[in-house]
Amino acid sequence: MIWQIIKKQGLLFWRNPQQLLLFLALPIILIAILGAALGSDFQNESSPIKMKVALLEHGEEQKEIEQFLADLHEKLPTEAVVAIENTIDTMAPIRSLRSVLESEEVSNFLEVNHFGSSEKEEIKDDDSYTAIIEVPESFSYDVLESIVLEKTEPPTLLVTYNEEQQVRTSIISNFLTQFQEQLTKGSFLGKNGIDLYTIEIQPIKGQVISINEKNPVSASSYYTIGMTVMNVLFLAGAIAYYAFHEKELNVFNRIILANVSRWVYFMGILTAGTIFAFIQTMIIFTFSWLVYGISFPNIVDFLIVTFSFSLSVGGLAVLLSALSYRLNSETITNFFMNIIATLLAVLGGSFYPIGDFSPLIQTIGNMTPNGAGLTAYLTLLRGDGIAGITDNLMFLVMFSLLTVIVAAICFPKRGVAA
Amino acid sequence: MIELVDLTKKFKQMYAVKNLNMFIERGEIVGLLGPNGAGKSTAISMLSSLVEPTGGDVRFDNKSILKNPAAFRKIVGMVPQNIALYTDLTAEENLLFFGRIYRLGGKELNRKVDEVLEQIGLTDRRKDVVKNFSGGMQRRLNIGVAMLHDPEMLIMDEPTVGIDPQSRNYILETVKRLNEERGMTVLYTSHYMEEVEFLCDRIYIMDKGNLIASGTKDEIKQILSSEKTILIRADRINGKFVEALEQHSLINRVTIGEKEVTILVPREANVFSEIIKLAESTGLELLSVDNKTPTLEDVFLHLTGRALRD
Ligand SMILES: Nc1ncnc2c1ncn2[C@@H]1O[C@H](COP(=O)(O)OP(=O)(O)OP(=O)(O)O)[C@@H](O)[C@H]1O
Ligand SMILES: [Mg+2]
Repeated sequence: MIWQIIKKQGLLFWRNPQQLLLFLALPIILIAILGAALGSDFQNESSPIKMKVALLEHGEEQKEIEQFLADLHEKLPTEAVVAIENTIDTMAPIRSLRSVLESEEVSNFLEVNHFGSSEKEEIKDDDSYTAIIEVPESFSYDVLESIVLEKTEPPTLLVTYNEEQQVRTSIISNFLTQFQEQLTKGSFLGKNGIDLYTIEIQPIKGQVISINEKNPVSASSYYTIGMTVMNVLFLAGAIAYYAFHEKELNVFNRIILANVSRWVYFMGILTAGTIFAFIQTMIIFTFSWLVYGISFPNIVDFLIVTFSFSLSVGGLAVLLSALSYRLNSETITNFFMNIIATLLAVLGGSFYPIGDFSPLIQTIGNMTPNGAGLTAYLTLLRGDGIAGITDNLMFLVMFSLLTVIVAAICFPKRGVAA
Repeated sequence: MIELVDLTKKFKQMYAVKNLNMFIERGEIVGLLGPNGAGKSTAISMLSSLVEPTGGDVRFDNKSILKNPAAFRKIVGMVPQNIALYTDLTAEENLLFFGRIYRLGGKELNRKVDEVLEQIGLTDRRKDVVKNFSGGMQRRLNIGVAMLHDPEMLIMDEPTVGIDPQSRNYILETVKRLNEERGMTVLYTSHYMEEVEFLCDRIYIMDKGNLIASGTKDEIKQILSSEKTILIRADRINGKFVEALEQHSLINRVTIGEKEVTILVPREANVFSEIIKLAESTGLELLSVDNKTPTLEDVFLHLTGRALRD
């Protein structure tokens, strides 16, 4: 019986090409538009991005460190200097920057070339570099001094970005910000980090990429997932519209008169919502796989996330249906379609990774079905296994459960508003 | 077979149906008449267990069905007042879906769908999407869906509103045939007197939630035995003439149409010459003055002082 209800729903979608267009073409078009906006980078990012960075050292770190230690002897007691000498390796800023940039994981997509100060003009003319990191003379000396002696004036690292490579540029910038934070945190002696002084950087259009040591996620992947999870939300509303229409038309009464329990009908909506959300998600991801080469490392994990996410959409569908039955009006569904869904999309990070602003926002974002779905997909895309997203999956399942329970409570008994 | 006992439904402070008592025997066609808002649909919804009554009982073969409607639902086919169909699906797809909802399947379902399509005369349009159907065809399918599970009884809520006379006749003939050939019990709701007169053995008349008359056609018309209806037609009815009619001692009731006036007078009174006189004195050009055989419409008029439809 539930199967009949699902089949009928499928047939109704099929007979409404505008609806199909909205559900399948719209997200695909959105992804394509974003693709065009993000430029050529979008197309061939299925293989991890390859970037070249020039590291231009005007001074020599080793010499500066030695100089720093020598000068220190005049300022501090010997025991203190010896203690610092022992930990100086972890404090040397350029060395630690290089150790990160040249680590195995990072070198997969980042190539670092070293130059002396005489070669500056030469590299600036070379378009293949995404960024030039300039280390001014006595940079290391100043960093150490600011860390150890708590000098207030932080030294400056100059970064010149290649404005034609926006996606890559933002990766580097993000990377350096992280490095800066790491260094600041690591500088147990000092409060001041390095100030990244950036010049010649064009405003970046809004594509921000989360950096992870394993695999960077490209803007194209980010927005493909963002647009998908957002658009699938609308499916819940559409199913609720259909369900309420069935009540208005007395078709629901016909089903009840056939001695079909209203719970069977209820389950029909839940299952239809879940199944069609699943199908919709699969179609859009298949498209982005074929056209943009966005693929998930582990298909089983991907299916688990897709199913959990679809289940939460099914829950939303049945909740909206039950509420509109109870209130005898589709206002609630309109409200969801016009306002709540967009709000969820923003909070969940479909338009912009707002979670990057603060962990609190990230947490809130993960408390939306689409946000949890997005985070889960991104984590999978970075190559992390299912273990990294149990929180998100749990949330999705709990969310579905909660919506179904609330829906069941709201779903009117015969005669209440029949 | 089915019996309504003091059935009552209150919406907020308003009685949609008040102390309705009715019965329907197997094989009967019973008419339920009443103007808009009389409470017909509400009564039917309670009868078919879709709406819970505020008071009273519905009994099927002497057992209350309020708590346990399943047995009754099995033998009843409901034709709702509006078109309760998936208009994006074809006629056949609608029938197949509702058939499966009624747990039919396989060859039996296909046979039943063919049979119903034949009965409602839509066999050659079975593959067409319902929204492209004419109003009359949609109405026919609306009835067809209710017949898929071979119900013993059909409840029809104004099955002919807003359709062409041809489709209307087709539906009326179909209902009559189902009753005669298969002994189908029918509860037929309408505000068209002629339909009820044509179809029904017994009639209930409702107004504003109350039952105002019931009985066989003849019994109901007996209500009018003391009066007769006279129809006066003129080119243009003027106010003076109407006023004069209203003030006349023999004339009980005056109802004004666009080009006609209906009056009720005592059966033995002869008012023809009076009417002609009144017309002359008020400058009205008469077209005709006729004695009308009483209709249910007249009964309703007599009972409520209002026409069934505006
Ligand atoms: N769910 C409801 N809530 C409140 N009032 C209702 C509801 N359903 C019906 N009514 C009221 O009950 C009265 C009877 O309505 P009902 O639909 O039964 O009349 P009806 O005889 O079928 O009229 P029609 O010929 O227009 O179909 C009307 O005044 C209507 O406004
Ligand atoms: Mg009605």
